Amino acid sequence: MSSVNGAVSTTIIVAGLAIAGYSLLMTALNRRMNVPLLTAVGVLEILLLVQVGIIVAKLAGGERPASVPTLIGYLIATPIVPVVAAFWGLMERSRWGPAVIAVAGLVAAVLMVRLHQIWPVIRV
Amino acid sequence: MSEPQPSPEPLAPPEPTAPPEPTAPRPDSTRTGPGRLLVAVYGLFALSASARAGVQIATKFGHAPVAYLLSAFAAVVYILATVTLTVGSPLARRIAVLSCSVELVGVLAVGTWSLADPATFPDATVWSGYGSGYGFVPLVLPVFGLLWLRRVQRRATA
Repeated sequence: MSSVNGAVSTTIIVAGLAIAGYSLLMTALNRRMNVPLLTAVGVLEILLLVQVGIIVAKLAGGERPASVPTLIGYLIATPIVPVVAAFWGLMERSRWGPAVIAVAGLVAAVLMVRLHQIWPVIRV
Repeated sequence: MSEPQPSPEPLAPPEPTAPPEPTAPRPDSTRTGPGRLLVAVYGLFALSASARAGVQIATKFGHAPVAYLLSAFAAVVYILATVTLTVGSPLARRIAVLSCSVELVGVLAVGTWSLADPATFPDATVWSGYGSGYGFVPLVLPVFGLLWLRRVQRRATA
């Protein structure tokens, strides 16, 4: 279980950083939002939902982090980030749409590190 | 693509006192282009600062009241900046300039204070160490905010 858990976190970090890099490249090249980028955000969203599911399963199993409210806050906020970023980025018909997605990718990666800090059983 | 129309300004209350600027750009001009990115980052900080302050004050206020109250103050400033940058009316832009200025002064003051008197800050706030816990984004964000607002203002009065 814990190795799967670590693999999901690592995958999210790699995917988030890759999306951020690709998005920033698009911004630099003056590209707008496109389908491949949206698809990548969709994949990131699915990975984040899997991660939330794994953590909820741990909570349901009776394990507790030091600060439950903090963890709950992260569990709520984490899957919202790519969705809001996708909508906000799609509203922009310029290079700055992908820039918003870049932020979401970076935030997803940072959130995995923070989750590990909040509850070390969540491996990275 | 339909013809871009002046935004109906869904978030802004009507301003009976402020006459419309004859050469003003679309009122949403602060939230398009680079402003799109700026609002996204401000929204992120509004969310994270509010959540952090909320949890800290609700669960362990007595542990570090000064730090937690400053967290809450930072959260209010970020919310104000996010909303006013999104609205973008002339009044909202003035409030946004004020918010970004308070934010810049806040991050510099709290950053210095947290280094000079670490005992007051057993737990980090968004602004302690000049925002070092957040990749120094809190330090550069108000600078970009003020630069962007100045650019929009110049475009509006050009």
